[in-house]
Amino acid sequence: MRGVIGVNRVCFALITDKKTRLYEQKSLSLNGVWTQWEEIALTSRRHDDSRHAGFRFAALRIVYKRANRFRRVGMIKTEKVLHLRSCRGRRVRVVREHYLREGVPCFSSLCQAGCANDGKLLPADLTHYLVPDAQVVLSFLEILELRELRGLVFTQTAAQALQSKGRRYYSRLRSLLRDRRHDCVLFANEFQAYSYCPREKGETQESWQTRCVYSAAVWYFNHLAGMMNVVMITEDEDAVARYSSLNSGVYVVSVQDYLQNFWPELQAAHDLYGSISQALQEKEAEGSQKEYSEHLPAEILEAGIKSGRYLQGSLAVSKHRAQSEAFLTPGSSSKSAATDLSGGVLVHGGRNRNRAVHGDAVAVELLPPSEWRGKVTALTEGQGEEKGGEDGERKPMPTGRVVGILQRNWRDYVVTFPSRDGSQSQSRSSQRILAVPWDRRIPKIRISTQQADALQDHRVVVRIDSWESTSLYPNGHSVRVLGRAGELETEVQTILVENCIHVPPFSDAQLRELPVSSPERPWTVAPEEAGRRRDLRRSHLVFSIDPAGCEDVDDALSVRSLDGGRLLELGVHIADVSHFVAEGSLTDLEARSRATTYYLADRRYDMLPPVLSGDLCSLLGGVNRYAMSVIWELDAESLAVRSVWFGRSLIRSSYQLSYEEAQALLEGRAPPPEGDTQLVPALETLTRVARHLRAQRDRGGALELEGVEVRAQLDQHRNISALVPRQPLEVHETVAECMIQANHWVARKVQEAFPSQALLRRHPPPRQELFGPLVDTARARGFTITTSTNKALAESLDRAVDPRDPLVNRMLRMMATQAMSQALYFSSGSESLDQFYHYGLALDRYTHFTSPIRRYADVVVHRLLSAALELDRDQAPDLDQDKALELDRDQDLDQGSPKLDRRALVRARAPASNKELEETAHHINSKNRAAQRAQQLSTSLFQCLYFRDRDPLTDPHCVADAVVYAIRDNGLLVFVPEYGVKGAVYLRNREGQVVAAAAADGRCEWQSGTVRRYADHITTTSSCGCCTFSLFDHVTVRISVLPSSCHANTLNLELISSRPPPGPGGPPPAGPPPGRGQAARQVVQEVVRLAEEAQQGAPSPPLPPEERPFLQSPPPNLHSLLEEIRELALLDPALLDLDGPRGQRSAQAQRAT
Amino acid sequence: MAGLELLSDQGYRLDGRKATELRKFQARMGPFAQADGSAYLEQGNTKALAVVYGPHEMRGSRSRALHDRAVINCQYSMATFSTAERKRRPHGDRKSTEMSLHLKQTFEAAVMTQLYPRSQIDIYVKILQSDGGNYSVCVNAATLAVIDAGIPMRDYVCACTVGFVDETPLADLCYAEESGGVSSLALALLPRGGQIALLQMDARLHQDHLETLMEAAMTACKGVSKVLDEVVRQHLREASMLTRE
Repeated sequence: MRGVIGVNRVCFALITDKKTRLYEQKSLSLNGVWTQWEEIALTSRRHDDSRHAGFRFAALRIVYKRANRFRRVGMIKTEKVLHLRSCRGRRVRVVREHYLREGVPCFSSLCQAGCANDGKLLPADLTHYLVPDAQVVLSFLEILELRELRGLVFTQTAAQALQSKGRRYYSRLRSLLRDRRHDCVLFANEFQAYSYCPREKGETQESWQTRCVYSAAVWYFNHLAGMMNVVMITEDEDAVARYSSLNSGVYVVSVQDYLQNFWPELQAAHDLYGSISQALQEKEAEGSQKEYSEHLPAEILEAGIKSGRYLQGSLAVSKHRAQSEAFLTPGSSSKSAATDLSGGVLVHGGRNRNRAVHGDAVAVELLPPSEWRGKVTALTEGQGEEKGGEDGERKPMPTGRVVGILQRNWRDYVVTFPSRDGSQSQSRSSQRILAVPWDRRIPKIRISTQQADALQDHRVVVRIDSWESTSLYPNGHSVRVLGRAGELETEVQTILVENCIHVPPFSDAQLRELPVSSPERPWTVAPEEAGRRRDLRRSHLVFSIDPAGCEDVDDALSVRSLDGGRLLELGVHIADVSHFVAEGSLTDLEARSRATTYYLADRRYDMLPPVLSGDLCSLLGGVNRYAMSVIWELDAESLAVRSVWFGRSLIRSSYQLSYEEAQALLEGRAPPPEGDTQLVPALETLTRVARHLRAQRDRGGALELEGVEVRAQLDQHRNISALVPRQPLEVHETVAECMIQANHWVARKVQEAFPSQALLRRHPPPRQELFGPLVDTARARGFTITTSTNKALAESLDRAVDPRDPLVNRMLRMMATQAMSQALYFSSGSESLDQFYHYGLALDRYTHFTSPIRRYADVVVHRLLSAALELDRDQAPDLDQDKALELDRDQDLDQGSPKLDRRALVRARAPASNKELEETAHHINSKNRAAQRAQQLSTSLFQCLYFRDRDPLTDPHCVADAVVYAIRDNGLLVFVPEYGVKGAVYLRNREGQVVAAAAADGRCEWQSGTVRRYADHITTTSSCGCCTFSLFDHVTVRISVLPSSCHANTLNLELISSRPPPGPGGPPPAGPPPGRGQAARQVVQEVVRLAEEAQQGAPSPPLPPEERPFLQSPPPNLHSLLEEIRELALLDPALLDLDGPRGQRSAQAQRAT
Repeated sequence: MAGLELLSDQGYRLDGRKATELRKFQARMGPFAQADGSAYLEQGNTKALAVVYGPHEMRGSRSRALHDRAVINCQYSMATFSTAERKRRPHGDRKSTEMSLHLKQTFEAAVMTQLYPRSQIDIYVKILQSDGGNYSVCVNAATLAVIDAGIPMRDYVCACTVGFVDETPLADLCYAEESGGVSSLALALLPRGGQIALLQMDARLHQDHLETLMEAAMTACKGVSKVLDEVVRQHLREASMLTRE
């Protein structure tokens, strides 16, 4: 009878007490006992008297309905009561439904209950699973992001608490959950019927969240039948006391105890915990005085932007006047047509900047026109000091002030703790230091730390937490210490961190995924794979031409004649990286996040592990390798392309040549290899075909120019043994042209197969206003440069040669490079067809395909090409794989299949959607930009190191010839060709003195006088007389290093003579290429001598053994000078690297554009 | 509330349902004995009461009577206490009129009006608590009321509101989802023949998504029709049992 009474009681509860919750609580404790209820309910109906019959019957009907619902759908409905504030400020009570179910999956590989687990699962080989509390996730997310912490279960409660903190943090959590390299999952504990805890009356939000998380932890332990211990970490002391003994197997500890007991050796976690908890404790009100005005709330900002009252854009702080000037480039949808905002909006002064940091997306309100100011165009005297006067300002430009921040884009910053004089207090308690960031555009950051004394003059990585309106500076916490400022390793790490380049060593898990190839068990071709590929080992002569000493050979060529000499077959074979790197594998994820190989002045960080990049993927000579091939059939006479074949192949490269060897073979200076009659004719045919293709492109207006480099010869220890200047060889041209053609044809294929889901590369035409300085400068010398099309530009640059001074043409080409826009990757569905054009190469479609070992975009294109080939195979199965596809095959295929099906098939087969490809392209573009910046910074780092150890007054190397290329109000901008250094030379210093040149030998000194600037020259007048400097004048400068403790060292150029210096450092003689080669070799020999002296003189810092493989020799070294020589290359007329104004400097990068 | 995820990565909506799940359905037919037909319907937290009078003689102006069909007269109203904030709602305001017109159009398609020439059928629907999907709940409630009144219909009229978030159609939107900027579409369907009685949408939607959204709406409506059918049969069973006993 107890059951019956139970039923009655329950039913009473139902009818009299409308709170369904009570009912649910009782029912929840019985797991799956519904059938019993049903039977008891029915029997009781029969036995009771009629007085209660109807009453009970009604109740039982509802029980039955609920039972059925629970069995059928498996969900229970509860309600959540929330108290919200409406937009008008009134408090509103809102009731929301909340559905609970049993089938919420646990995402653990230990699950025995048959949960629908798919996707990422928690591994089974751990000692415990970690369940962090909501407050822990809010405050210490950075610690949880460390990869060493595995088996993390994030509860939905914690994730929702994080959502309230900000969208950035929540998206960080989401990307953490999606990333397969982190072992963490999200458990929807609020929807799981057995772990849901309704909020009790009078319970605070935090304690309710803790209770929810604890109940989720208990559920987890029970669900896995006690096979895995569960540890919950929380900062709440009461919770620890209350819950830690309730359930064995579920441990509740505080964060500090957890880290100390479970991860005693993980120093990074301990450091982070210390600094973050310090920062949290220090969060008291700084003072009631408001330094800045409050930001407007988000709704008002959105409304203002829509109505045009506020402008939206990204804030860019001026590099030279970081304290006073910042610029906003408004987004495309700015509605105010009254003012012309194409030049940007100036935000002047710290108060108007209102706590916006460089890179944030802000909303700006324009000030009335009477308050507009102008941009200062003088050179800054001293860095970062606000000049009181307003001299040198041009006409006023639109000025505004920041009213709100739309999106904070804070990253990790490197700061230096300033050295303190002994007058500071010596207390060991925490101190708040104003640390100076390495990047001048970031304001000082307040860090509270207990190690202020120990960290003097050290570089530290910090993160900004917040910037209150009551504080002049933002608050932050430290993450890790890089080392002492000024040491080489610290400076290189600073460069990497400042450019967001993360290159940790490859993890063991990743290396385990890869095939092993050792001398005892070398890797061999798998027979089934050989069956799937076209075997070119016996039929084709394949060879590769690369820089000497190159290990990662990603491309090889082959040429042969067919059909009795009427047809030529040209083949380009690229390393088949996509076969070894499966999509979604750990290697793929790591390569995607790196996106490219990073070349710094003294080291290289590879995108792929060395087993792939140096061995299995690299098309070394004499071994079988997998490749992806593009084979063209050309008519032997007209060299027109008859057909093209794409596919996977198996090759065996016969010869691994260097450029010099290939050129020597072509010219007959070296004998062909033993017993071979085909190599030299093949090279000759190749050269002829390449010349023809290049001429075709030139007719279209290609701007590509050759590169001159100095190649380092490596001995067996991979140290540089000699610097050999490389003439611009024809064979460079040939290889480059073949690669460009391969890229172009693959772009065509991939774009035709997936019209809106292909990864391509485009080079937008430069903006005409950027050509202003070039055209003006050229006009000063009497040359006209037409910039309307790329063809016109190339021709006018070729004509602008001054026979007296070849440097003029080089400078003009340098300035043309400055005006060029960057080439970038994009997804073909995001741009219209006319935007696909590559300006520099004069091709309508282009992509990167030929270097998958060092560029991730090429790997993506390889996958796209494979998918396109599969699509063809499925659509037209009768087409034989070996049969070359005709050029007009598109019509055949389209007629066969209905259009709608094909579109759907294409969309389904594409490896990635348009949105994903666009994100990938965006990611790769930003990583490439970061790589270029890091390269430039490391070059200038080594330049400074080179000059730091030389006394500027006595060392003759510090005096060099310089060419004036631009004029400013109080000085000149000059270029030093010998070292490839650009810098500013002041004609008026801080005390008001000007440079005056003695008429006799041009020697300069400081005297009082005036400076007058004209359109193309600048004159200083003093007691010695007048001295004029015009564009393209040669002067002599002394190079020294301006040391800076908190920022990067810079080179300081001082004018010592208005005449060029005498001696071999003077302008190289003009003339045809042989003469130029002569001069280049002279300079190179000079520099080689310098470098040898440098090597003997400079102390080389001790290198840890793991660094050695990356270095070619201890820095400062010949390799760093190599980069300086590369700037030298800019002086040659036939030289521009068009992947950007600076371009990728490495030799391998030279070939593919 | 800005920033709440309408559809999480694991497929859960704000209230814990999956994308295709309907809210909890509870219905009672015949709560008012006074009217010819009445029904009370709860879909989640949206509660509607529908009352049908008719068919009866034309009240008011005889000239508006149709010679071959019955005139259906609908009136939609919301109680002042139905939303989170108490609001005075005059009966003749624009939204009520528009909804009444939509209801009229819907039921003119379903009710067999040829059987009652020169007469009038009144349908009054009142929303007691509003939590999203007002129109759909009204239509469902009115269907039950019309059946309770014994007026012959071609088929059940089932309605559902669906929205489109992150390339996924969500069935049966609640208020938080509707106000979260989701493009919502309301569909009234005669499920057996798959005929659409009314389709309403006033948000922006890409053309390619319309197909999927309508498919999802039709599936949801068919689910609703099953539940309505179950409710009607249950009511009949009880009614017959009570009369027998």
